[in-house]
Amino acid sequence: MMDRRTFIFAGIAVALVIAAAAPFIASGNPDGLESAFFGIFGAKEIQGSDLDDHAAESAEEAVIGITGNEFSFASPFPDYSMEGLEKFGEAAAIIIGTLLVLGIAFGLTRVVAREG
Amino acid sequence: MHIPDAFIPLPQAAVYWIIALVFIALSLRWARKEMKEEKVPLVAILAAGIFAIQAINVPIPWGTSGHMMGAALAAIVLGSPFAAVFILTLVLIVQGVLFGDGGITVMGANIINMGVIGGFVGYYSYRGLYPLFKSPYAPAFIAGWLSLFVAALVTAVEMAVAGTFPLGLGLFSMGLYHAVIGIIEGAITAVAIYLIATARPDIMADPAGVPA
Repeated sequence: MMDRRTFIFAGIAVALVIAAAAPFIASGNPDGLESAFFGIFGAKEIQGSDLDDHAAESAEEAVIGITGNEFSFASPFPDYSMEGLEKFGEAAAIIIGTLLVLGIAFGLTRVVAREG
Repeated sequence: MHIPDAFIPLPQAAVYWIIALVFIALSLRWARKEMKEEKVPLVAILAAGIFAIQAINVPIPWGTSGHMMGAALAAIVLGSPFAAVFILTLVLIVQGVLFGDGGITVMGANIINMGVIGGFVGYYSYRGLYPLFKSPYAPAFIAGWLSLFVAALVTAVEMAVAGTFPLGLGLFSMGLYHAVIGIIEGAITAVAIYLIATARPDIMADPAGVPA
């Protein structure tokens, strides 16, 4: 059995390796929900793979017309990107996010666990 | 499966937020009651690992991709569906606020789909299947697959209520893509449980009485 300290460091190492590798191995295809959306709004075939970029843009405008939800929010690193830094910026953004989640989860869980 | 802001009208998004807040409160109550200090690093590592793995979109057919959700894994390892709500809420807040992944007004819906549905379906299907297999791996795979598939169907229903997708086509396309993405969810859930159980067999002995 792995001792406690080794397990913690191994766990953090695994998370960071996944975070660093993510931008280099992840697919840029639309995800399941986006793909369904583009299929339903005529920007691609549901069982086809070609995305019509122009129709995709119109779909994004059309859906706001349907729901009326115009809320938009400028996140600091949209789509895990850093301006002008390409894949390495993405890796950095995902590593920062991973460390942040690690820190918040650790702090919050410790406070809550001590309360109980 | 992260819903962007534009997909749900604000009044409906508010209803999802209210439901999500109830589950978040219940998950905090669970953490206060059940969380022991020695589990704190495990929760933090699971949250960080789930955030990282969600950045890996795996290509599937039909020009589409998908990533793991991690709710079933969190719920199985920590022995409660509320563990998934707790962890996925944290992950979704960081994703939405820092990276624009998933909307802000619709974050309640995303917490319900991935945290609540994912966590409850994952946990209870694992619990139900475990006695049939007497081993954690097949139940973990099926629980992972089912958690993602059901979450996708619920998302399709929400899209239909929002007026964004027609119900039939929404269920068909979401079901089709996520039936495949679910294989990724199931496989990584089973592998992660194998790795954790091998490294630290003591961790997996969950208080609810499901040995692994």
